[in-house]
Amino acid sequence: MSEQNGRPRRRPAPRPSVTPAGVRRVRRRLRRGGLGSLGCDALNGAVHLTGVVGRWDDRIRAGYIAASVRCRGVVNDIAVSGITEPAMTVPRVTDESLAGKAYDIVVVGAGVVGCAIARELSRFDLRIAVLEKEDDVGVHASSRNDGMIHPGFAPPPGTLKAWFNATGNRMYGDLARELGFQFDRVGSIVLFRSWWLRLLLPIMRLRAHQNGVDSPRVLTRGGVSRLEPNVTARQHGGLQFLSTGIVNPFEVTIAFAENAVQNGVEFHFETVLTGVELEMSGERRQIRSIRTNRGVITAGAVVNAAGSWADAVASLADDRFFTIHGRRGVDAVLDKQLSSTQHHALSMPDLLGSGRTHSKGGGLIPSIDGNLIAGPTAEETPDRENYATTHTEFTEVRDQLSLNDAVSSEFIITYFAGVRPATFTEDFIVERSIRVRNLTHVAGIQSPGLASAPAIAVEAARLAVESLREERGAEMGRNETFNPIRPARIDLSRLPLAERAVLISARPDYGQPVCRCEDVTEGEIRDALRSPLGVCSLDSIKRRTRAGAGRCHGGFCLPRVLEIIHEETGLPLESIRKKSGDSYLVLGRTKKIQRAPTHV
Amino acid sequence: MSDVCGDELVDVVVVGGGPAGVSAALAVGDAGAEVLIIEREDRLGGVLKQCIHDGFGVLQYGERLTGPEYAHRHVAALKCRQTQGGQIRVMTGAYLHSLRRDGTRWSIDLITSQGIQSIGTAAVVMATGCRERTDRQIYLHGDRPAGIFTAGQAQRLINIDGVMPGRNVVVLGSGDIGLIMARRFVLEGARVQGVYEIQSTVSGLARNVAQCLEDWNIPLHLGTTVTEVHGRNRVEAVTVCPVDGSGLPDHNAAERIPCDTLILSVGLIPENDIIADLGLPLDSSTGGPAVTQDRETQLPGLYVCGNALTVYDLVDYVSECGQAAGTAATRGATTARSAAAPSAHASAGPVETSGDIGQMVPQLLDLAADQPPVFFFRVKRAMDKATLTISRGGVQVESRRLTYLRPPEMIRYELRERAWAALRRNPGPISVAVEAADGS
Repeated sequence: MSEQNGRPRRRPAPRPSVTPAGVRRVRRRLRRGGLGSLGCDALNGAVHLTGVVGRWDDRIRAGYIAASVRCRGVVNDIAVSGITEPAMTVPRVTDESLAGKAYDIVVVGAGVVGCAIARELSRFDLRIAVLEKEDDVGVHASSRNDGMIHPGFAPPPGTLKAWFNATGNRMYGDLARELGFQFDRVGSIVLFRSWWLRLLLPIMRLRAHQNGVDSPRVLTRGGVSRLEPNVTARQHGGLQFLSTGIVNPFEVTIAFAENAVQNGVEFHFETVLTGVELEMSGERRQIRSIRTNRGVITAGAVVNAAGSWADAVASLADDRFFTIHGRRGVDAVLDKQLSSTQHHALSMPDLLGSGRTHSKGGGLIPSIDGNLIAGPTAEETPDRENYATTHTEFTEVRDQLSLNDAVSSEFIITYFAGVRPATFTEDFIVERSIRVRNLTHVAGIQSPGLASAPAIAVEAARLAVESLREERGAEMGRNETFNPIRPARIDLSRLPLAERAVLISARPDYGQPVCRCEDVTEGEIRDALRSPLGVCSLDSIKRRTRAGAGRCHGGFCLPRVLEIIHEETGLPLESIRKKSGDSYLVLGRTKKIQRAPTHV
Repeated sequence: MSDVCGDELVDVVVVGGGPAGVSAALAVGDAGAEVLIIEREDRLGGVLKQCIHDGFGVLQYGERLTGPEYAHRHVAALKCRQTQGGQIRVMTGAYLHSLRRDGTRWSIDLITSQGIQSIGTAAVVMATGCRERTDRQIYLHGDRPAGIFTAGQAQRLINIDGVMPGRNVVVLGSGDIGLIMARRFVLEGARVQGVYEIQSTVSGLARNVAQCLEDWNIPLHLGTTVTEVHGRNRVEAVTVCPVDGSGLPDHNAAERIPCDTLILSVGLIPENDIIADLGLPLDSSTGGPAVTQDRETQLPGLYVCGNALTVYDLVDYVSECGQAAGTAATRGATTARSAAAPSAHASAGPVETSGDIGQMVPQLLDLAADQPPVFFFRVKRAMDKATLTISRGGVQVESRRLTYLRPPEMIRYELRERAWAALRRNPGPISVAVEAADGS
């Protein structure tokens, strides 16, 4: 399939501050919506909501009413009786290991966006650190999605989402080559539920043009069936987007991060921002230093890429103008046996109803590793880190399977939940703070955030460097040793046997299978443990190598992987964790044999 | 013969060095052919290595051995045969990468730490065992913390690695390994809150309920299941719910049980991914391919035995199954060498099961065989008295009274000579049925 060659339009400007008339209009609309008891003011260019409601849905509804006027954002301080929004989980460790360190730029958050920004910044001769509260990159939304690189057709024209999406999509081909990750433009087909949706074709073509997306191919019912012989009989033709791609989202995140490390960026895991020291710089405030659980760090500029908690970081800098609300989605992963039954990403959205919801409606898409992925659902949640799955959501995901007649729910090998960090304005926030001179916000990066991340990173890095240049009055030097190439990891399962044999002769551990479902060798697990980010949890290894991601789900390989982690890191088995926090896998030794005292 | 399909030629290749594979290899050795065992781990024995409880070999040796002892006897026999000049070779740390048919032979690619090796053979015996069903395959919901293990994982961690996967345990599912692990946890000083089984009957053997739960005062809750796991990082609790007749949980009666570990013993799945890739359909009741009494599949020269064929309850049956496959594979390999002999499938007919039979091997009968076949089957429901009837073309050739039939237990039934002769003689479809006798 092809790279997009449509010309992107100009990047839209950030949203304007709310006007007093705008605030009055929100109040009126809240009253009309039965939410008249709520308070509504302007704050930092945003609409600020206060008060108490009885249901979480009402809090969310009020937020969207506020966002219906032109404003920078919505700060939603509405409390919901009976519901306490769970706080951010934080690392338990406290030490002074980072105390006194000084960086030119500190990026808060190591999701795909934070890692991509770090890599962009590493093109400059700057001291850069990324702070991440978890034990690895891409633990939250960045690893909890279906890996689709959307073409950019879905976001409303004129939004930052549309611009970054179409621009980011175009960057993926080169990036995959530079950063050594798997990428395939499989294309997508948006199926029509009924024949008369064809009447909307001129509108759809216009939208593609406005978003700078290549004009989709219009397929008849038979045309779809020829491309996808197992497609549901409910379809009435569709639109084919050739530029839609698929990636492994953690592989992309890890690739950005590892290339950043190659180019001098420091990553500090289990490190959380706990406070910000502001000082005056002329008329405006600026961040002087930031407090973490590992000591106080000074920073020339700060990039807020804190995902689900970006509003909390903005709040620490006394710069609130948006509130994040979590929107959960559940995806189901199907057995690789089905990989040949479908080639394109398929979806059958309710094209007329999509204006009423804030989700594209999900679909059934091939993954780069050969599984099909169904989902995601969309449900508002007060708990931004709640990845528990429920029976109800799971049932909803299963409905997506009907897009392909060759699949059924018995092929589901696992399912997972993710939480997208949504704002009420439903657009990305990529802008410098108005209040704090050296702070750049990158927030509300929900779907299509993965597709957009490369383009967002370029812009966010530009803004952060600009803030530094203003302060120092000089251009930032280029990093002369910047190397854009990250070697791809050795993935033996993708190699022909002859090539595997050559590798095994140099490294016999490449000939020792550990995970048989996914064909992962001991050597690959050791490579992951020796990789530049220095991760050692079970999930980190699984995300890098796929050991334990197959149909037996680690039934056979878990003990062996623990042993290899022990051998590589020296950690006793009792200290090896599944992920962050107290996620220890083993709780001690079996009964210890008391050795008889030795008498001299 | 030209070396068309690999670096090396062997009469029979056995894939898997557990009890089925080693039994098969011993049988090949006894028949005087050369055999190669391919084992993924660095030692033979398969899952027996971690089964340190007793009860193995009651039928075969008349003793209650532990798993390692049973495996040791096998391996000792293998070594003995090797020293006597038997052509039995073992490759450990070897992983089967691909298996394909090349003309009349099979071609195998192996990955080892020495490199890639290709082997050509006339017969392949798959003895790949089974895997455990996971939490996702029973649609368990809730958080995804550390502390959810299959019973087999826990068994390996405790018995081989010497570490405790948990201290305060809930067991979901009453499969044999789950029952055995409940006791094992107690022996190691952990607390076992109970064993929860969604069905109204236990899925493990009665002897394990007595020896592993009752003797240790571990509560068994039938008709109850775990509906949700709680705990972000490590398991903190599970919600258990009684279920109604159709298996739907009654959420009003839900109970939250604090624990740090959830052990799953919710079923075993024969491992047949390699042969499924060859296009062989799997029998939905056994999870393995359809085979003749020789354990030969519909692909000539490809045999499947042990728990890869159907999950047995006793290792003795697994060994018997492996032995049958090994003997037949040798015959197949040596005749194939001399002449292009027709496969047993040319003279094989399907066996229809009816009544209360839940699963049965063999699913096909080679009517040219002189030896009467042995049937292994499980019943769908508990019956105190039942009648087994075997007929062909509507003519009954065998009728036997069976007593005390329980679904977890595999029933071994050896057809009598006379009945086999009658079965071979008569025309028409073959059927095997079990019907409950008077009011049971």
